[in-house]
Amino acid sequence: MRSMEEARIGVYVCWCGNNIAKMVDVELVTELIGKLPHVVVSKNYKYMCSDPGQELIAEDILEHNLNRVVVAACSPRIHELTFRKVLEKSGLNPYLFEMANIREQDSWVHDNREAATRKAVELVAGAISRVQYHEPLDKRSVGINPATLVIGGGVAGMSAALEVANAGREVYLLEKTEQLGGMVSHFDLTFPYLYDADKMLEVMIRRTINHPHIKVFYNTTISEVHGYIGNFETTIQSDSNQEQTLTFGNIIVATGLRPFDASRVGQYGYGRLPNVITSVEFEDLLRTGQVRTKEGNIPQNIAIIHCVGSRNTEFHEYCSRTCCQVALKFANQLRSLLPDSNIYDLYADMRAFGKGCEELYTATSKKEIIFMMFDQQHELPQIIKSVAPGDPPMLIFFREKISGLGLEIPADMIILMVGMEAHPDVKDIAHAVGISICSNAFFIEKHPKLDPVATTTSGVYIVGNCQGPKGIPDSVAQAKAAAARVLATINQGSVHVEVTTAEVNETLCCGCQTCIMVCPYTAIHYDREKKVSVVNEVLCKGCGTCGSTCPTGAIRSKHFTDQQILSQIDGLMKMALKIE
Amino acid sequence: MKEETSQKPKLKLAVYWGAACGGCCVSVLDVHEKLLDVIAAADLVFWPIALDIKYKDVEAMPDKYIDVTLFNGAVRNSENEHIAKLLRQKSKVLVAYGSCAHMGGIPGLANFTTKEAIFKRVYEESESTVNPDKIFPQTHFDVDEGTLELPTFYNDVRSLNQVVDVDYYLPGCPPQSERLLEVFTLIATGAPLPPAGSVVGASEKTQCDECKRTKTENKKVKRFYRPIDIKDDGVTCFLEQGVICMGPSTRAGCGVRCIVGNAPCRGCYGPSEAASDPGAKMLSAIATMIDSNNEKEIEKVVETIDDPAGTFYRFSLPSSIIRRTIV
Amino acid sequence: MEFNPTIVAFLCNWCSYTGADLAGTSRMKYKPNVRVIRVMCSGRVDPTFVYKSFREGADGVLICGCHPGDCHYQEGNYKCLRRFKLMKKYITQMGIEPARLHLEWISASEGKQFAELIDSMTARIKELGPSKIKTVVETLAI
Repeated sequence: MRSMEEARIGVYVCWCGNNIAKMVDVELVTELIGKLPHVVVSKNYKYMCSDPGQELIAEDILEHNLNRVVVAACSPRIHELTFRKVLEKSGLNPYLFEMANIREQDSWVHDNREAATRKAVELVAGAISRVQYHEPLDKRSVGINPATLVIGGGVAGMSAALEVANAGREVYLLEKTEQLGGMVSHFDLTFPYLYDADKMLEVMIRRTINHPHIKVFYNTTISEVHGYIGNFETTIQSDSNQEQTLTFGNIIVATGLRPFDASRVGQYGYGRLPNVITSVEFEDLLRTGQVRTKEGNIPQNIAIIHCVGSRNTEFHEYCSRTCCQVALKFANQLRSLLPDSNIYDLYADMRAFGKGCEELYTATSKKEIIFMMFDQQHELPQIIKSVAPGDPPMLIFFREKISGLGLEIPADMIILMVGMEAHPDVKDIAHAVGISICSNAFFIEKHPKLDPVATTTSGVYIVGNCQGPKGIPDSVAQAKAAAARVLATINQGSVHVEVTTAEVNETLCCGCQTCIMVCPYTAIHYDREKKVSVVNEVLCKGCGTCGSTCPTGAIRSKHFTDQQILSQIDGLMKMALKIE
Repeated sequence: MKEETSQKPKLKLAVYWGAACGGCCVSVLDVHEKLLDVIAAADLVFWPIALDIKYKDVEAMPDKYIDVTLFNGAVRNSENEHIAKLLRQKSKVLVAYGSCAHMGGIPGLANFTTKEAIFKRVYEESESTVNPDKIFPQTHFDVDEGTLELPTFYNDVRSLNQVVDVDYYLPGCPPQSERLLEVFTLIATGAPLPPAGSVVGASEKTQCDECKRTKTENKKVKRFYRPIDIKDDGVTCFLEQGVICMGPSTRAGCGVRCIVGNAPCRGCYGPSEAASDPGAKMLSAIATMIDSNNEKEIEKVVETIDDPAGTFYRFSLPSSIIRRTIV
Repeated sequence: MEFNPTIVAFLCNWCSYTGADLAGTSRMKYKPNVRVIRVMCSGRVDPTFVYKSFREGADGVLICGCHPGDCHYQEGNYKCLRRFKLMKKYITQMGIEPARLHLEWISASEGKQFAELIDSMTARIKELGPSKIKTVVETLAI
């Protein structure tokens, strides 16, 4: 046990206006808690998080020489940082603080004032008991290598690289093929404004390869990255088969997605029927300027089928987000190229969301395109090669969902709007940079809403389609967001790293190494000389799993130590019995 | 009384057994010829297994008369408790000697059952018992000559510190005689003693630190084995062979004797100072080693651990957080 | 007097604690019997915490973590699951009704599930009656 100064605790119970005070008798809580050992002051106030509320704590810290503070208010997920700052400003270490959640997990969820008050008293008693064992923790930071590694040379990767390089910082751009451009290099026009994809790409590629701060490595994949934020290192096998070691401080992953393999949908006949082609192949065809069947004829009847491989549990449950708009773009381009053709658009749901896209749908629908709906979940259309002489070469049978009618459509050419899916090597990439993939094999962001380009591995960002299917504007926006994040850390020169990490007591560690395999961040290694486990506190995220794995108790999870949690249990249970 | 100036007064040493097998007392004798050195430095004032000194003689001693008492054995009955309290009163330093005094030990496994069940088994059901009149031990029995008394058999077994304050713990089943000599020498030479409440005669680190078997981080187990189920290669960490070895959570100090003898550690030296419960840390570590994330598979692996409570608390049930089965 | 159980719950910070907060912000109502202790990950829940809760008089102990595959720390919840299974076997041996210890996955969006879980667990523990652990342990040797 560590030597401890005598705890002098200030306890503050918040009314949160009526939010807490209505269901919890804050006066009674304050009174009962004030009688507990080590509690020097016990007060309540209308809004503890307000400036006067914070002032109250700051003044008491000075006046009563407090060395621990407990606030009973809302969830610590909301105001823990607020109150920690109050301690910091008052000269106390911010970790000598504990919060009791008597709003979200008490006053708001109960309708019996007596029971809610009693629960509040117990929760606060637990916090008081715990805070006595809190220890001051120091902020730590690591220096940042100003170079950045970007993996993937598509639009997202190039956008990120250019943004970082334009700020005067070095970028290593890894591209696994022999040219930049990614999937967009297959596209003819972009939606919804039908701009030329090539022109956009050409400028971007030229800027990238001519940029003094960008070094592009072609035919290069990533194998393993060592290190941590600010200090990553990898060895790459470049073009000329030479090994090169790169060091960098941040990583932006922009590895994209690939088109769904349409031959998996048997009834569409892709691979068997020559004039059933994918949307990607049709883009290539459009780029030639001439739309012709495999036999070289002008197609009279052209059908576009949506959601191929998407929104179907047999293939991929998710929506690929761009195919509907691309289909509308195709219909427009076809109408211009072949004014007399019949164009059928078979959709499951028309999802023309996004700026300018609904307008594209409206405009397209006025161009004599025949839109029909089918049931993607239960009855996919069936494509057959017709045998009767004089018949069109292919027939599509399907049940039109709105009318319920079974229909038969003639077709000379059928375009399958294939969705997007992960590259087969996605796991290797995830493993190399230490990030996770979701059940759809997209990389997982740190927070889906509040931190969508970061990952749970500090210094590793995900942009573009590898994070989930999306169009060009969203990919570019993510790329630039990640670049801004990277530049911010570079400009800081250093970043704060997790404080509440694990720590090995080397006097107790026996070197059994059980902890090493449980660490998801490879933050623990075995020191052969000292015969003990060592935690790399920069890599550690403070989950505490090693702490509850360690058979000797040599590993402490800072701020969540055994002693702190056991005391919390003790405090709240003893109070529970007292009230009874 | 004549004052000795040239020589330090001899230490007064007591050894007592509570609920014990006798092994601890034998371990004191196991210092062999070094016993002569002990006797040169100390007078044995009380040692029921070896000397004919009565309880009343101890009761007659002034308080703190004994310098060091080595108390071995758990507290099982009123006699054990009475003597524990008496020796506490009469001793300057009270040492819980051996696993039973330290943590409850093997007799502590009786906390899996009750006094009633034990009596029923022993005095009624056991194959060698002939007791048609169902005569059970009684604490008082009047005969013509007066009243006969027997100690009260308690429902629970307790470790020594659950009855009296203990100054030091010298762990082991039994403690290694070398460790006893080291501690004794420390006391006899007047060297500074560790803070009260410390474990002495054992390492701060646990067994793996001294274990010579090869160990890696690869502790992933598809099923657990009893030692008899596998052909131990004699080289690889027991855990990595799927055999539960208490080594990682058991203090070193015994010279990894069981493991050297190709048997996994069973935990008699007790947990490290950082453990609040003697078995929880090891139970947690062992569960973590289960090599599956599938609930059904995990359950199957758990099934291969026959007796978790008896395995992780073999020597320490009474000193564990949930001290006994709840009945 | 009606038996009002005390349930100590260990909630992981990222999913379950947030889910419990969501029940609050959504003003769902549930039984006031649970006392939450926040840990960063269900993988942090040391069996010692569970035993200590029972020992100090908890009638039930609940552990909540992220759903499988959703752990903020990748696999901490699986470590928790493994320990939970072995702990169950141990407490059963110790004569503690296994239903007193419960593990459930609650995501950050499952405020409703959390509220329902507390109600159902409270009802189950009420049926079992008060835990005897504290009394039995504290009347040692009698």
